[in-house]
Amino acid sequence: MLSKVENDLLTLTNSGTGAGEYFRRFWLPALMASEVPTQDCPPVRIRLLGEDLVAFRDTQGRVGLMEEFCPHRRSSLFWGRNEECGLRCVYHGWKFDVTGACVDMPNEPPEYGFENKIRTTAYPTREYGGLIWAYLGPPDKTPQLPKLEVARVPDSHRYVSKRLQETNYLQAVEGGIDSSHSNFLHATVDAFRVTDSYVAKVKSSPNLRAKYHLLDKAPRFTVKKTDYGLVIAVRRNAEEDTYYWRMTQFLLPSYTIIPYQKGNSIHGHCWVPRDDETCWVWTFTWNPDAPLSQEDREAIANETFVHAKVDPVTLRPLRNKSNNYGIDRELQRTATMTGIHGFASQDQAIQESMGAVVDRTRERLGTSDTAIIATRRLLLQEIRALQQGNEPPSAHNGDAYWVRSYSLVLNRQVEFDIGAREFMIAGV
Amino acid sequence: MRLNPAHIVAVNDFSEETLRELIAALEVSTEFEHLIYRESELDAVWSIAGFALKDEPNAIRREAIARLVNTAHLAHDLVADRRPREAADKLKSLL
Repeated sequence: MLSKVENDLLTLTNSGTGAGEYFRRFWLPALMASEVPTQDCPPVRIRLLGEDLVAFRDTQGRVGLMEEFCPHRRSSLFWGRNEECGLRCVYHGWKFDVTGACVDMPNEPPEYGFENKIRTTAYPTREYGGLIWAYLGPPDKTPQLPKLEVARVPDSHRYVSKRLQETNYLQAVEGGIDSSHSNFLHATVDAFRVTDSYVAKVKSSPNLRAKYHLLDKAPRFTVKKTDYGLVIAVRRNAEEDTYYWRMTQFLLPSYTIIPYQKGNSIHGHCWVPRDDETCWVWTFTWNPDAPLSQEDREAIANETFVHAKVDPVTLRPLRNKSNNYGIDRELQRTATMTGIHGFASQDQAIQESMGAVVDRTRERLGTSDTAIIATRRLLLQEIRALQQGNEPPSAHNGDAYWVRSYSLVLNRQVEFDIGAREFMIAGV
Repeated sequence: MRLNPAHIVAVNDFSEETLRELIAALEVSTEFEHLIYRESELDAVWSIAGFALKDEPNAIRREAIARLVNTAHLAHDLVADRRPREAADKLKSLL
């Protein structure tokens, strides 16, 4: 449970709000590099943290990100011409470069030098790991880029998708760290009912998760604060003398990494507030050791796991609220808990069903919600510290993000942070 | 034996025994992680008691549960404010 004040502090993200200012202390993924693929390509509209912006790649290949509306008459620069190192408003011809400086104003007498006095709001960008990152905070507080493993692997080892979710970012983050939901929301009916055929299948499976989730339905949660955020360790009984541990990382301000099993690919998310009631879901799949496998490519193409297909213009998933996420009630009756195809759509459906911003004064949490409580408290501490003038240390410690989630079986005498330490360091 | 604040107390009810365990855990909690566990336990007590309150037909018993719900809420917010000992004192007032 949270008070309304706390809920507002965490969920409001416009300029001047608690979480809004906090997010403005980090580099945030804003665009796929492929959305502005070439010099002088068409500009792209994007909303971030409640701000309507337009992005473009100029003649020199630099990516500009500026307020969408021309400071002259507030017309949209999305309709502008991207030409000769600047974006020109097609209404009266005012032209802005990537720094936001007005470099041409053909409708004003040149002797006035009016263009030299005009700027529009522009934000710095970086191209990194196939994405365009944006920093919307004060120039003198510019942070470091997070040293994420997914951004350092070769392009062939990585797949990144971006989609719109019609909820506040926080309930999406909470879905990412709430590992107990996967036994229900993402389960098959056989797994939920623990049928004989399911037991026979998973007992011989190399998938540790399926095997040990079956043996222990009441996991123990441990959270530990780290330089980058939190590690959330979930412990289940494995064999007589061992535990099965799954470690999820929450990386500030809003990343998670799904527990990884050696030999598979790693998956993670970043949820970036678009405004208070919508967010951008960035989903990452990467293999630190090899190009993505055929199995990974098929999961992406068939939307069976964490990625979902989207409308190319709006980036709204094709399965969405307006079509009930394509729910198949017969499939739900016979095969899967939701009847909705793919983990991404299942998460989206359930999170959007909670309303755009969950009223956390009305929820009823229990001890299996430890990870959610920890994430909220950490964010609240960080936001309040910033309000008191203390900058978030993780924003200036990109190296802290050089981590990887993990899952493994350890002897019962060994604590996870000792036994898994070497595996939780990224390794590209 | 001293209670380990890094372990989550199993909250299956809001009995006096459960409350005593929560108090003992609150009194030795110092770290961020400990306070997260304590908050989750108080959330659980508040939830269970809140549901019980709706179904309780006996007026005297209902009043006692209502007091417990309110106190658990106050204790929860004290833990959130990193004041676990004051939260323990609140719970003690119920015993």
